[in-house]
Amino acid sequence: MISYIAGTENLICRFEDRMDTVQCLASEKEIFGKIQSVGTPIVFDLEKVAYIASSFLRICIRACKEVGAERFSLIHVCPEIKKVFKIASLDRQINIQ
Amino acid sequence: MMETNVVSETTSAPVDVNVIMEKAACAAAVFSQLDQAHTDRIVRAVYEAGFNNRILLAKHAVEETGVGNWRDKVLKNVVATQLVYDDIKDVKTVGIISEDKELGITEIAQPLGPIFAVIPVTNPTSTVMFKILIALKTRNPIIIHPHSRAIQCSQEAARICYNAALAEDAPEDCIQWLDKTSRDETHALMQHPKLALILATGGGSLVNAAYSSGTPALGVGAGNVPVFIERSADIPFAVEQILISKTFDNGTVCASEQALVVERPLAERVIEEFKKRNARVLSEDEVRRLEKVAYDAERMIMTMAVVGKTAPEIAKMAGIDVPPETTLLIAPLDGIGRAHPLSAEILAPILAFYVAEDFEHAVNLCIDLNYFGGIGHTVSLFSNDEKKIKTFASVMNAGRVVVNMPSSQGAVGGIYNTLHPSFTLGCGTGGKNITTDNITTKHLLNIQRISRRRVNRRLESFDKARYLDESLDAKAIEKEFNRNF
Repeated sequence: MISYIAGTENLICRFEDRMDTVQCLASEKEIFGKIQSVGTPIVFDLEKVAYIASSFLRICIRACKEVGAERFSLIHVCPEIKKVFKIASLDRQINIQ
Repeated sequence: MMETNVVSETTSAPVDVNVIMEKAACAAAVFSQLDQAHTDRIVRAVYEAGFNNRILLAKHAVEETGVGNWRDKVLKNVVATQLVYDDIKDVKTVGIISEDKELGITEIAQPLGPIFAVIPVTNPTSTVMFKILIALKTRNPIIIHPHSRAIQCSQEAARICYNAALAEDAPEDCIQWLDKTSRDETHALMQHPKLALILATGGGSLVNAAYSSGTPALGVGAGNVPVFIERSADIPFAVEQILISKTFDNGTVCASEQALVVERPLAERVIEEFKKRNARVLSEDEVRRLEKVAYDAERMIMTMAVVGKTAPEIAKMAGIDVPPETTLLIAPLDGIGRAHPLSAEILAPILAFYVAEDFEHAVNLCIDLNYFGGIGHTVSLFSNDEKKIKTFASVMNAGRVVVNMPSSQGAVGGIYNTLHPSFTLGCGTGGKNITTDNITTKHLLNIQRISRRRVNRRLESFDKARYLDESLDAKAIEKEFNRNF
């Protein structure tokens, strides 16, 4: 499940539960459709996310590249997910708040 | 993603190496979230896929390498899948793996990170599947480095495992495999800061490169396995077992017997038993001819030409006339070392033969053989005398002392004994290894220990000022330290 809150300052994409391969494949087109339709910075809210698959890392990398590292961030990242970004060394490329 | 798992030989090293390692790091990251049940589902799927392709992969390996025979390679694939899976399936490898409330120690298993797996030409599909199974069970991504003569079959084995793993939602790129790589590319991978471990099974140069890379490595030393038929042994049984081992996959197992030692009173009977089983005892002249084709005197190593070939094929190369049903070439030798090339490790159905005057002489010959290129690996003994078994074992430098069984299959484990089934046999410090174990899942984990407060009562109640008294020596302090305890 993904919900979107489009504001004047940013677009928040709220993800829920398990962002596994199936969920990511099903959502990728929709996510980038939204991202491309707004010109604002993008925020991925992971407060309710318990698991991320490789596909979700790829979505993050792509989003970061498309909007620029300074205009893309992750928020409400739990320690388990933060560790994933740390092990993958993606915490150097992606702004995790 | 599957197609991108192969690294082309045409691409430049720095780019490829970084891409491979970034993928591996991402796989390691995703792997870190998996629970035991999910991990076990992936391992089960990979085992089944590998097992179901055991014959296809065995035939592919022999066709590509020309080493060994496909029927025995099937058995190797069975060991690498069915027996390895059976050995590891119930092992806890995720999260809390033990808790001792009395000692206050809780152990947590953590993955290591990306593993670089060097694969030998002699077991190009079984070693791939074995290493993949133990890596995935411990949630470590793995990068397969095939031998240059076995690229296709090793890649095929890896691809089969990867597809099965993905079907169970394993992390993408949890298995990657290389194409033909240059020395520089291999070294760059081995030295990459994101690499956690090298599992090196193969030729000495690659194993040495692994050790000198700066990355932790579990390597395998060379073998030169002596087998001793002691007086109390059941001779026909011993001969039968040695043949089962030495002819298995045409002698390609590094734990296969390289030299047989018998005491003089047994020699004639042992030879007769071998002859009954179509072994050929070579003359002195034939030994000289065989040395020339089987051993590269300049490089001081066996020649690839004879590795994994049948006895008649090797005899033909040496210009020795033998019947086609010949199983083994037995070379009677009177010395050990460089002047006697067939006393070295030769992965083919060639067996050096020594006659000893007595038990002590036999054990001394075995020590010389053990130390001539096979330190730390494996030694074999046929005996029914417990005292002699222990005497023999205590003077050998070998991780495995296999008794009354075929050495090849015995050392690998799981068939004739309860050693962990493994295609990476630790050789201890003698073989420049950190362990003498058969490598398995426990070697691919970082174990964290939560240590809860459990005060050392003796130290707590001891007057620490006593340590400052120079007149008190260790014995005096110990006496007070342990009083009333």
